[in-house]
Amino acid sequence: MAQIPNLQNGPINLTPIRDQSQKELITILKNIRGKKCLVIDQKLGGSLSLIVQTSVLKEHGAELLYLNEDPLETTCTKVVYLVQTQLHLMKFISSHIHNDNSKGLQREYFLYFVPRRGVACEKLLEDEKVHNLLTIGEFPLYAVPIDEDILSFELDSSYKECVTDGDTTSLWHIAKAIHKLEFSFGLIPNVRAKGKASVRVADMLNRLQAEEPVSSTDTGVPEINTIIILDRELDMVTPMCTQLTYEGLLDEFLHINNGAVEIDASIMGANQQDGKKMKVPLNSTDKLFRETRDLNFEVVVQVLRQKATSMKQDYTEMQTTNQTVSELKDFVKKLNSLPEMTRHINLAQHLSTLTSKPSFLGRLDMEHTIVEAESYDICLDYIEEMIHKQEPLVSVLRQLILLSVTNAGLPKRNFDYIRREILHSYGFEHIATLNNLEKAGLVKKQEGKSNWLLIKRALNLVVEDTDTTNPKDVSYVFSGYAPLSIRLIQHAIRSGWRPLEEILKLLPGTHTESKRSAFANGTLDTLPGGSHMDKVQDGRRSLVLVVFVGGVTFAEISALRFLSSQEGMAYDIIIGTTKIINGNTLTETFLEKLG
Amino acid sequence: LLWKESWELAKNPMASRGSPLHTPRIKLIEKAQNLFAETKEHVFESKAAEEHARLLRMQHELEVSTKQPIFVDSSISDTIRTCIVLGNHRAALRVKTEFKVSEKRWYWLKVFALATIRDWDALEKF
Repeated sequence: MAQIPNLQNGPINLTPIRDQSQKELITILKNIRGKKCLVIDQKLGGSLSLIVQTSVLKEHGAELLYLNEDPLETTCTKVVYLVQTQLHLMKFISSHIHNDNSKGLQREYFLYFVPRRGVACEKLLEDEKVHNLLTIGEFPLYAVPIDEDILSFELDSSYKECVTDGDTTSLWHIAKAIHKLEFSFGLIPNVRAKGKASVRVADMLNRLQAEEPVSSTDTGVPEINTIIILDRELDMVTPMCTQLTYEGLLDEFLHINNGAVEIDASIMGANQQDGKKMKVPLNSTDKLFRETRDLNFEVVVQVLRQKATSMKQDYTEMQTTNQTVSELKDFVKKLNSLPEMTRHINLAQHLSTLTSKPSFLGRLDMEHTIVEAESYDICLDYIEEMIHKQEPLVSVLRQLILLSVTNAGLPKRNFDYIRREILHSYGFEHIATLNNLEKAGLVKKQEGKSNWLLIKRALNLVVEDTDTTNPKDVSYVFSGYAPLSIRLIQHAIRSGWRPLEEILKLLPGTHTESKRSAFANGTLDTLPGGSHMDKVQDGRRSLVLVVFVGGVTFAEISALRFLSSQEGMAYDIIIGTTKIINGNTLTETFLEKLG
Repeated sequence: LLWKESWELAKNPMASRGSPLHTPRIKLIEKAQNLFAETKEHVFESKAAEEHARLLRMQHELEVSTKQPIFVDSSISDTIRTCIVLGNHRAALRVKTEFKVSEKRWYWLKVFALATIRDWDALEKF
């Protein structure tokens, strides 16, 4: 099965976005005649695999290589670099060129920045005296459709850059990506934003519109009715909790990367034990996965069991009775879904062994205790014990962030004690990481009283007796905890944020709600005004684009899908994010790599 | 500014990781410690730097005495574990008292270390 998802069945057809990027990439290749070697950085390679198949690139005479510090091994005389705008990558490129020069190799070099050129990078190339040897261009890839309802801007460390480094380049990038989207789908009339970064994105969006207006006459009725932009900072609790949906758990344990997981072939039932890895694509093109990805994992096991039993039944019937041709046809059709079945049964089995471990259950238990925020001391002791046992630093930090965020920081005595224990157990080099987390406000000294309890109660975040089989509320994704971020979106869609004013004030950053006219001068307001529940003429539901600045987890995506599948819901939801994250990947961006 | 400077200093010695010249590294860390100490808010960082320098000295001594270059750059806990695994309980105890390691952590480390070398008798005794 292809890793590139089929995008046509989504609430909005994202195919044009992908096609456009694909066309732009091919134009770049076509403009360089003859055989060429395309060198891409590893990170970008992942995103590109969701846009274009490697075979297509080869058709255009490109040989593919990944960029690293080793000298180039190719016979091509034309080298095309396609890289993200990052300084360390420039060093590799200049060393390649120096290496070729010292060997007397004559090559033509082309450099395409993704998504746009950066002054600092070009300065570095000038300093290395290779700038004049390169032909420089841009490949404006701002958003990659991960699946039919998800767009990723592929900004891995956007959150950390904003909160600890004060680097807000990524915000411009997000605004640009949304603006580009508007060129395809029309100006989005309603904008809601909450949080410092999100409000800035909303402002930039208006500025971009003023500079380069999208006129409504070109695109007709806007396909996206409302955009809700949220800062990850508002809700750091959710990503730190272990996700319990099928897709979320897969991500927690196996790390889903660009819509696929890479796992040992032996897990997938292959016989060889040589530790070979295989790639399993996971997206909505896989019907069974589409059906199960958003369910709580407990339920997934039941569903799979049911399907397997019914299949077995069909099979036995097959052997005993005489069949008509049409019955045979039906049976064969069912058999076609067999590879999907085996795949997911293998995956689910692997997850089951991992989730039944006492250590996993203990961790879940602790997360719930922390979120309930009633027995602080027990939680602190648990974390202390984790440190003493030298469990992986990332899991320790995850719990610590959770504890610190729900308590508005740790009391100074505990704070210093835990930090000292971490340095002693994991080494003093981690002081830089701790400093990053403190700057980000994720693990800090206690200041004032925590309003977590207030927020938790007001938004009904902890839901008792959640029924995971027939969920009535989004809290099923964490078996009893409803993500704060999702609650905010629920309210924004249902009634706007005005009734929630008091609670919103407790969360960091300001919020705005605004309406935009399709015309730059703002004299005509022909768009269906911001009233709720208005439907697009052809009977389809209107669309809400939810953008997470700083990343979103699979569990939250599942919760949003659940919301839009509810009866009486007037909107379909699509999601934009800087990156799909989980607690580990998010925490890892804060780890300072020294040495 | 002072704060920034001291951070760069603190990072600096780590950047030169693995270099055989330990003494300049320790000097650098001590300098960072003094810089941290100049402001009130960074008592913690200053103390950590001081401990780091002391740890490196000790690890250096251990490497000389055991003739095994496995100590430098490991954490305090790892150092204790290595000592116990090597059967050098006296050195382990010395590290423990030097850095005021809590009893709780000490027991975890000891259990893990003894289990690694499958010294079940010692494990039972204690």
